[in-house]
Amino acid sequence: MNNQKIRFLIVEDDEMIRLIHKDLLKDLYPESEIIEATNGAQGICHYFESHPNIILLDMMMPIMGGEAFLDILEEGHQCNILKNKPKIIVVTAIKDVKELMKIGKRFAVEAVISKPLVQNQLKSLLKDWIS
Amino acid sequence: MINLTFPQNEDFTKAPVFEIEKALNRVHNKKELLERVIEIFVKSLDEKKDIIENELDNENWETLGTIAHSIKGSSWTIGAQQLGNIAYQMEKTAAKKDLDLFRQLFQVFQTAMKEFRDMDKTM
Repeated sequence: MNNQKIRFLIVEDDEMIRLIHKDLLKDLYPESEIIEATNGAQGICHYFESHPNIILLDMMMPIMGGEAFLDILEEGHQCNILKNKPKIIVVTAIKDVKELMKIGKRFAVEAVISKPLVQNQLKSLLKDWIS
Repeated sequence: MINLTFPQNEDFTKAPVFEIEKALNRVHNKKELLERVIEIFVKSLDEKKDIIENELDNENWETLGTIAHSIKGSSWTIGAQQLGNIAYQMEKTAAKKDLDLFRQLFQVFQTAMKEFRDMDKTM
């Protein structure tokens, strides 16, 4: 993935956490484009409109949560409707280990990071993907 | 004075109200950003408190659980450990649909909210 053209989508209902994510991503990749969605439904719309390379996804959100967001993308991939597979990092405050493992095993999910977000974890993940 | 007899092994007052070092760390030591983040956090706490008040009467456990979960995540992110810990208990209590305990926790939560709001957060 090229640093210059990278496009992030943040799907997170909490304005404060979106701001923190956005600031970190802008520090790391100043040329990147950052799109924000406050729930899964908005996230899906932005996904089709903007084709992000990397998605930071919260799980528990009003209107549509992360699970439904992942269901839609996975259905699209399994039916070959969607060709590009973005890298999805789930950032969640879920503490239940079984639940976290279940999310981590999903086809669409590349990584799961617990809230509060340890920024070095996200940095090292992105470093592996973005040149 | 709020009765802290629940859960028996919990004493939320022992947790720090605000850990500024943790909060600064989350925002790469950017004080201006932290001020903005705290402002958003406090505003959202008020909004979420109002939602809980409304949904409590309807015993809308799904919303109560989602809101508590959201408060937990943002509180721990900003170093508001005490609020986060209380919200975590509220989330677990919503899952069990225990109205009495949830009401008690909500009272403690409101006291902790006031303490967070009133405390000196000078950086």
